Amino acid sequence: MATAIGIDLGTSNSCVAIARRGRVEVLENSYGEPISASVVHFGDDGTSLVGNQAKACAVQDPENTISAAKRLMGRYFFSEEVKKAKAVCSYKIVEGPNHSVRVKVREQALAVPEISALVLREMKEIADARLGQPVCQAVITVPAYFNDNQRQATRDAGRIAGLEVLRLLNEPTAAALAYGFGKGLAQRVAVYDLGGGTFDISILEIGSDVFEVLSTCGDTYLGGEDFDDRVIDLLAEEFQAQHQINLRKDRYALEKLKVAAESAKKALSADDETRIQIEGVAKTPEGAALSLERTLTRVEFAALVSDLIQRTFKVCDEALQQANLTVRDLDGVILVGGPTRLPLVREAVEQYFQREPKTDVDPDQVVAMGAAIHAAALVGEEQESRLLDVTPLSLRIGVAGGLAETIIERNTPVPIEQTSVFTTFKDFQQSVRIRVYQGESRRAEENELLGEFEFSGFKNARRGEVRIEVTFEIDTDGIVKVTARDPDTAQAASTQIHLSSGLSEEEIRGLIDKHHAPAAPSAAPGLETSGATLAAVASVAANPPALAGAPADPFDALNACAGEIEFDAEQLEAAANIPLEGPADSAFELDPAPLEIGAAAAPSGGGAGDAGEIELDGAGADDALDVLDEADLDSLAALSDDEAASAAEDSAPEATTQRRAAPAGGLFGSPDSDLSIFGDEDDEI
Amino acid sequence: MGAVAAQATTEIRALAQILDELDYYNVLEITPDASASEVRAAYHRATRRFHPDGHRQIGDDMRPVLGRIAKRVAEAYSVLRDPRRRQVYDQQIRGDSARVRMPLVQAEAEAERQSRDARLGKTPNGRRYFVLAQADVARGDKVAAERNLRTALTFEPDNGVFKDLLGQLRGKR
Ligand SMILES: Nc1ncnc2c1ncn2[C@@H]1O[C@H](COP(=O)(O)OP(=O)(O)O)[C@@H](O)[C@H]1O
Ligand SMILES: [Mg+2]
Repeated sequence: MATAIGIDLGTSNSCVAIARRGRVEVLENSYGEPISASVVHFGDDGTSLVGNQAKACAVQDPENTISAAKRLMGRYFFSEEVKKAKAVCSYKIVEGPNHSVRVKVREQALAVPEISALVLREMKEIADARLGQPVCQAVITVPAYFNDNQRQATRDAGRIAGLEVLRLLNEPTAAALAYGFGKGLAQRVAVYDLGGGTFDISILEIGSDVFEVLSTCGDTYLGGEDFDDRVIDLLAEEFQAQHQINLRKDRYALEKLKVAAESAKKALSADDETRIQIEGVAKTPEGAALSLERTLTRVEFAALVSDLIQRTFKVCDEALQQANLTVRDLDGVILVGGPTRLPLVREAVEQYFQREPKTDVDPDQVVAMGAAIHAAALVGEEQESRLLDVTPLSLRIGVAGGLAETIIERNTPVPIEQTSVFTTFKDFQQSVRIRVYQGESRRAEENELLGEFEFSGFKNARRGEVRIEVTFEIDTDGIVKVTARDPDTAQAASTQIHLSSGLSEEEIRGLIDKHHAPAAPSAAPGLETSGATLAAVASVAANPPALAGAPADPFDALNACAGEIEFDAEQLEAAANIPLEGPADSAFELDPAPLEIGAAAAPSGGGAGDAGEIELDGAGADDALDVLDEADLDSLAALSDDEAASAAEDSAPEATTQRRAAPAGGLFGSPDSDLSIFGDEDDEI
Repeated sequence: MGAVAAQATTEIRALAQILDELDYYNVLEITPDASASEVRAAYHRATRRFHPDGHRQIGDDMRPVLGRIAKRVAEAYSVLRDPRRRQVYDQQIRGDSARVRMPLVQAEAEAERQSRDARLGKTPNGRRYFVLAQADVARGDKVAAERNLRTALTFEPDNGVFKDLLGQLRGKR
């Protein structure tokens, strides 16, 4: 009989559980611990060690002890998160192919999913040992706020670990399931999950066997480690003042500080004050050993971290607002994550939600338990519950001028599918390039790029005459798939966007072999085609550098200055959103005017017009974007050029605004009335 | 395949065939006057029947079909649960019975446009002079602001927002 486990793959700690015979059981590791640190230590003999023992290696061997790899999962090397990690991590983070992240240990460059795979494998082995039979199927949880890249990377990690990943389940949803399963509840609950590095809040409606996520929000930069950091700062500052030695500069001292800070924090969950003592933390110039000693009280600790706790409630506000609810509409609050053991956090939560949080779930184990319940249901071992989740981030497509238009709003239930129709921008254009993003910013570069692909092979025609249907799909794992289709010829190409785990299908297979795991059934992402003529006509770059004819590196364009943005925009112009089915008079509404930013080569206004495009010049662009919201732009559309310019100047003094023509007629496929957006008006009008 | 599964397969096939002709209310099997809680209950009911997780035994050929239904159910729900989107949708299907689907973004944009209209004015000229008046206010030119507001009111004599701002300006002077 199939045995499927649930794994909570946490930033700091991981936990594995199984549901069978109507009971959910957390499986302890060989030391009898229910949770294991998500830490991998690489020994000099080529072996690796995972768990709490590995964590203990951090002090003597920080370079070869990898913790919190999850923070790097699915991130680009140049991302803020990675920069931040590089500043604080004891191990070496280097750049891999496709702007991915690699961790350098003992002369090896490991992909991040490879490290997470070692943690997952440890969890699998714990289960194998406890159950007395090999397990190969699992539900793995991810923070609800994970984007597609992070989810893909987690799936890859599962495969590398030799697991068939039945489902990626959002952590708060898993927690709610564990809380409400089989109780026949009718409740609205909030799941407040404060982990080691992330904060997630989900609001769910539980209706007996249905668990519907009403909204989910999160902060991927906020967790218990930030609490530790505050304590470390305090200790280091005081030490510096006393001894003129910066402990943060000394890798070994810093590791000792980390350990001391974390254990002091944990101690304050139980006691009113705690003694911090680090022997021989540094040496005087003369070589005498110095120690650090101090008592930390709850009150002092509260002063250090209360702003961080308050930050979680901003996110809660957002989640409630998205769900159209107030705290009074809730029936309960479920606490998840180690830091929620702190009385300080519990009190703040109680105050915010105006009710005492539930205490009948274990904040460290509840997520794995929920995953186990769902895993059992998916293989038919357990009664089923419907988990109705949402997508945490808006799905967007890149359009002219470095903007990103929403295709699927955040907090839309999944699975979901949306189709938009696009057209070519130039006469006899050969291909269109489609860039897909996730995030809440209208500016493309402020969102997470999920990938891009190119579609070609449609009929040779004047611009506006070609119709390209692009379908965006988000599945129950929260993974995005994009399909482009030419409805006239029914040629189609689809791709599962797969970019930033930095691993190609081939590499993943290689890693599966390398780690000697039995190959899990392949859920091969990447190129997937339908239609016999397709291969010849459509080129889809699932993994750009790996495919012939793939588009240039997206980031060259992203990082570009004005001139290159023009190139970028030219490419993307083809993807200007053209909802052919819409009524003509609402075109402008449906397709917010593209903004071109920092346009050095801005041509003069197209004259006549009723506009579609505004250009913001120079340094004021940022401000201007804030000041001029869509409503303003819309209103400005009715003004003459001069009036528009002066009105815009009034509200955003540093920006000059020019109306550019892109009349609704043009948007709806009468190319003759469409005016140039990028200057070569002669051949465009 | 058991009798129950066979019955489910037949039901799914039948629904998939007519899916593109069904409006969101039909998809969720509710009437257009369904309350918010009825919409939610219908969504739960539909997902109990059509969520792929509930059909492990179903044939591989049926998976995409089931997926289509599940996605349409979610789409219907995401429009009908939101009063603003639902209102826009209702107008749409009333005007054009052939249109049973609505791009979600369109729904949002349309809903936003309506609330913006309520805020800023319903006519282009009304909005135009109102925006100018706001810019005047921001610059501190109350005389110009008043002039522009009065012009805006000639296009939309009943606009409460315009009147309010005018009232405020007069109060300040
Ligand atoms: N008793 C405790 N009191 C306060 N913080 C704790 C306690 N136990 C664990 N933590 C903190 O919780 C964090 C890990 O939480 P966890 O929920 O395991 O995170 P994740 O899910 O991200 O792996 C760490 O920062 C750890 O220091
Ligand atoms: Mg966690």
